[in-house]
Amino acid sequence: MSESSEVRLKSEISLTVNGKLETVRVYPMERLLDVLRHELRLTGTKEGCGEGECGSCSVLIDGTLVNSCLIPALQAHGAEIVTIEGLASDGRLQLLQQSFLDCGGAQCGICTPGMILASLHLLKKTPQPTLEEIREGLSGNLCRCTGYMQIFEAVAEAGRRGAAT
Amino acid sequence: MRANPAEYELVAPGTLPRVLSLLAHDPGAWLPIAGGTDVMVQYSAGKLPSRKLVSIWNLPELRRIDISGGEIQIGAACTYTDLREHETISREFPLVASAAAWTGGIANQNRGTIGGNIVNASPAADSLPALMVYEAELLLVSLRAERRVPYANFHIGYRQTQLAPGELVRAVCLKKQFSGYYAHARKVGARNAQAISKVCLAALGHPANGVIEDLRLAVGSVAPVPMRLAETERIVKGNRIDPQLIQLAKTMAAKEVRPIDDIRSTSRYRAAVTGNLVAEFLERLRAHAGRGETRENVLARWNNLPADKAAEDILPCCGSKTWALAMAKRRPILAEAALLSACDEVWKNLPESDWLEAFRSHPRIGDSHSPVSAPARSASWSGEEQRQVASSGEDVKTALTEGNRAYEQRFNRTFIVCATGKSAPEILEILQRRLQNDEKKELQEAAEQQRQIAHLRLKKWLSL
Repeated sequence: MSESSEVRLKSEISLTVNGKLETVRVYPMERLLDVLRHELRLTGTKEGCGEGECGSCSVLIDGTLVNSCLIPALQAHGAEIVTIEGLASDGRLQLLQQSFLDCGGAQCGICTPGMILASLHLLKKTPQPTLEEIREGLSGNLCRCTGYMQIFEAVAEAGRRGAAT
Repeated sequence: MRANPAEYELVAPGTLPRVLSLLAHDPGAWLPIAGGTDVMVQYSAGKLPSRKLVSIWNLPELRRIDISGGEIQIGAACTYTDLREHETISREFPLVASAAAWTGGIANQNRGTIGGNIVNASPAADSLPALMVYEAELLLVSLRAERRVPYANFHIGYRQTQLAPGELVRAVCLKKQFSGYYAHARKVGARNAQAISKVCLAALGHPANGVIEDLRLAVGSVAPVPMRLAETERIVKGNRIDPQLIQLAKTMAAKEVRPIDDIRSTSRYRAAVTGNLVAEFLERLRAHAGRGETRENVLARWNNLPADKAAEDILPCCGSKTWALAMAKRRPILAEAALLSACDEVWKNLPESDWLEAFRSHPRIGDSHSPVSAPARSASWSGEEQRQVASSGEDVKTALTEGNRAYEQRFNRTFIVCATGKSAPEILEILQRRLQNDEKKELQEAAEQQRQIAHLRLKKWLSL
C-alpha cells in the first residue's frame, strides 16, 4: 500500500459549541464544517463553495468570524464556537434574526446563517454601522436571491435595535 | 474529487522551536499550515503536495508585531486583520494596510496571514507589491540558522521561492523611512472583495524641490512574480512631472510588464491597465507635489516681504491689524501647521478691542455688503463663506435679519459665526441659542468662531 492511501488515526478533539463542551473523535484534517454538521448534527451551518469564497459556512471562533470549511478540526481544539443554533434562546429569536425576518432579509435561506453570523461579528465591532461598513462587513458572504438590499437594511435595523448588546 | 481526511496527518507542536525541529528532522516532508485560506482550498481539491501537515496557526513567536528603532517586524502569522488594525502600520505603511483591507472578505482576513501570502507566492497577491515598494526584508528561520533576505529576491519564478526545506518565514521587516512620501494603491478586479486582481499597483513618490526625487512602482498579476517597474521609475526620477512625461511613463509601464491571458483577463488588457494606473498615480502625485509647492512658495514669498507689507498681505485672514503685525513678527514661518498654531497663539492673547476690530471686518450674516474698510479679498471670502445663506429661502433670511438686529441690540456688535458649510436654518438656530448667552460667554464664543474663520482663510491664502 502506498503512503498516499495510508489511514491515519483519529484524534480526540474538545471544543465548546454554543456554550456546551463537546468532545469528538475525528481525523485532525476533518473540516470544522463537517465536524459541526456530521458529528454534532448542527446542520444550520451550510456548505456553499467549500473554498472560502461564499461565506455560507461562517461561524465565530473565539469571537472571530471564519469560514468553517477552511478550518481543520485540530485547529479548533479548545476553541469556543458559535453557530447559528447558538443565537436564539428560550424560543426567542436574537434581535438580528428578528430583523432579518422583519426586513425580508432571507429568501432561500442558504446564505442566511452565514449572513447573520457575519452581521453579528460586524455589530460587535461597530454597533451602529454605516451602509458602507455593512457592505464591507458582509462582502465575504454571497447571496443569489435577495440582491442584498433587504439584508443590508436588516443589519442596519438590528444595529438600531441594539442587537450587539 | 474531495480529499479524504483519513489519508492526511496534521500535528500542532505549539511552539516555534518544536515546529522547527520537526521540519529539520525530515526536511521537505511537512507542509506548514497557518490560517488555512490557501492550504485548505488545495486540500479540498485534492491538490496538496504533501499528506503531512504541521500547524503554525497562532504560534506566539510568529503572531506579534515588534517596533524597535527604525524598524517594524511583522510576525509571519499575523493576519490581515492584525495588519489593518495596527496603528503604526496604518500610519507609516498605508499600502500594507490597504492591501490587507482588500484581500478576501472579513472571514479570510481573520485567518489569512502575511507569511502565508508570501510563501504561497501567487503573482496576484495584493500585499506583495506593497512589500516591494517598501523594500521589505524577510527573516527566514530554520532549526540551525536565521537569515535575512530582501523580499525582492525571494520570489524566483512562478510560485517558486528561495525558501529552503526545513525553513519558515519568521517575520517581515519594514524600515520606517517613508515620511514625506505620497502613497497610492489601486486594485482592478471584478469586484472589491473576494476577487483576485487583474492588475494591482502599489506606488510611492517623493517630491522635493520641484522634481520627483524618488519613485517606486510595483505591480501584481502582470508577470510570473510581482515586479517593480524599474524602467518607468528611471525615466520619471529626477524630473518634473508634466503631461509629456506621464505619457512616456504610461507607454513604458505597459511595455515593461509581461502579462498573460488567463481566466481573469487578457495580456493586452493588463498591459494597458498598468499604463493607465501609472498615469493616474503620476497625475495625483503631480497635484500633491503642486499643492505642497504652492504652500511653500506663498510662505517663502511672504517671509521675504517687509514687515508692514507682510502684515497687510495676511490681514484679510483675520481683520485685526494687531494680529497681522504680530504674525509678521513671527516670520519666518515655514509650514502650514506652524502658521495655524502661530495664528491661535497670537489670537488668544489679543485684548478685547482687537477682537472687536476683527469682528467688524465681517458683513452681517445674510448681508451682501462688507464693511467699506474691509480689504477686497476679505469681502470676496465672506461671499464664499456665506454662499449657503445667500441661496436660502426668503423667510429664513427675514428671520436672520431680525435675529441679527436683536443680537446687535443685546451685544452692541455684529453676530460672528464660522458660516462655511452651514445652512441658513443651522445658523439661525446657533444665533437664537447664543442670544441666551451672557456677555462674557458670548465674547468667548464669538472669538472662537473668528479663530475658525481665520484657519479656513489662512488655508485659502496658502493656496492663492
